[in-house]
Amino acid sequence: MLHLIKLEWLKVKNYRTFWVIFILFLVSIIGANYMTHEFQQMIFGAEAKKNPENAVVKMFLGNPPYFFPQVWQMASQVTSYLLIIPGLLTVILFTNEFSFKTHRQNIIDGFNRHQFITSKVIQVIIMAFISTLMLAITALIFGYAGDKPFSTERIEFVGYSFLQCLNYCLCALLFSVIFKRSGISIGVYFLYVVILENILAVVLNKYANNTGYFLPVESADSLVYAPIFEGIQKFFLTRPDPKYLLLTCFGYIVLYLFFSYRKFKTDDL
Amino acid sequence: MNTVLSLKGISKRYGRIQALNNVSFDVPPGSVFGILGPNGSGKTTLLGIILDILRPTAGSFELMGKPPSAEVRKGIGTLLETPNFYHYLSAERNLRINATIKGQNYSDIDAVLEKVNLLQRKKSKFSTYSLGMKQRLAIASALLGNPDVLIFDEPTNGLDPVGIAEIRELIKKLSKEGKTIIMASHMLDEVEKVCSHVAIIKKGELLAAGNVDEVLVNEDIIEISATDITKLEQVMKAMTGYTKLQREDNHLQLFYPMGMAKLEDVNQYCFNNGLVLNHLQLKRKSLESKFFELTGKVSDR
Repeated sequence: MLHLIKLEWLKVKNYRTFWVIFILFLVSIIGANYMTHEFQQMIFGAEAKKNPENAVVKMFLGNPPYFFPQVWQMASQVTSYLLIIPGLLTVILFTNEFSFKTHRQNIIDGFNRHQFITSKVIQVIIMAFISTLMLAITALIFGYAGDKPFSTERIEFVGYSFLQCLNYCLCALLFSVIFKRSGISIGVYFLYVVILENILAVVLNKYANNTGYFLPVESADSLVYAPIFEGIQKFFLTRPDPKYLLLTCFGYIVLYLFFSYRKFKTDDL
Repeated sequence: MNTVLSLKGISKRYGRIQALNNVSFDVPPGSVFGILGPNGSGKTTLLGIILDILRPTAGSFELMGKPPSAEVRKGIGTLLETPNFYHYLSAERNLRINATIKGQNYSDIDAVLEKVNLLQRKKSKFSTYSLGMKQRLAIASALLGNPDVLIFDEPTNGLDPVGIAEIRELIKKLSKEGKTIIMASHMLDEVEKVCSHVAIIKKGELLAAGNVDEVLVNEDIIEISATDITKLEQVMKAMTGYTKLQREDNHLQLFYPMGMAKLEDVNQYCFNNGLVLNHLQLKRKSLESKFFELTGKVSDR
């Protein structure tokens, strides 16, 4: 496995496009959370800071989201809007191989097909890990900036974010293996993740007994919801038990992997 | 190891197109084996199957006497169709990737770059290379680790005349070192100049395979003419020794196995039969016409 990591490192080490996008993505995790944090300060203002237990505020808004323990969840939720970027990088890195025909050369030089796709999956896992680490650091920074003491309650949302990132990236990997060309892979991936699935989710939730929550990417998105207006959310949304969402999300990850491996291992390259 | 490569009934279909049809032949160790055929005849498809890039529809093959595997491929240096490298990386960094996959250290990289005259440009990005330089880098990559078997698909593609001559010399040199070279080409003179064995493919069909001298056997042709060409034809029909007699416009062609034609005998024979020749010439049948004759068969059917 170290061999595969080393090889992927040689491929990305000097790839400027990758580093520019990836570093901007990591900075954006802090940046986007800073923006929403500022928004919190505006809404809750001095009153909430002075008296966080204020019953009226709590009923409508819940606790201030950037205080422990909500900060784990809030930072994960804000980060979830950015996870399309690691997906984009996955498409770029994979379809590059197709356009340079280096996927062929790697096989010719002595990789087997299983090793080739495994090296890409490892790369995705590392990217998701770094993204999650950045999220955890961000949550800690804002959590400690708040008035509440450190707490690991709700820290599971950071883990959900890791799964969500894997879900986005492996979905992107599958699209790349299917379409092979970067333009169409990026187009279809964005349209599906950002628009099509959301429309489908709304329709299914409305007419088909909330099954929209169990769509491939939506299952991960629903796991990581915002800890704001919690008092009101209860009345409007019938979100499924996280257990089932977790299981579904995990199931889709396995399916993405299964079909990606199968397609790459049986195709003419 | 009796064969470096042994193909058994390889077929490949792309939908309705039969790219290869039941191709079988053996590549002996130490040979320079040319796979010869016009563009689109299935040469690259065949090499793609050997290298696990393409899946055969039917048939099987052995590499170095073993079933094909990634491990076996590590011992083969290959240039398939186009130079395939990461555009944003330098030549040196690209070769590091190739070497890493092959499980070799980087000590060979400068040496192979030197062999193809790219050492000065090793820090330049692949995307800045000319077509010929890209091709030479691909050959350098194939030479990494000094493999015993090399597969070259159109190795002189995109090279200038000097580059072509250099690559031919390199192939001859590698062959002298005892390496087996499998080379696909649509250029007949290339095969003629460097190959010891040849397989000829046309539209996915194997037309012939074996020793170059046997497959591309040459013929001698004696061309003669006289004022009364009809009488000459009658007289010559009675002569023996040639394999075929053919009339072309105002002269006759007599075909002989290579080295068997004797102009004096023909001249003497005609004179003895009361005919004086006004044209007598020995012609070597060109390899090219032999190639057209062989590859013409399929399209004529």
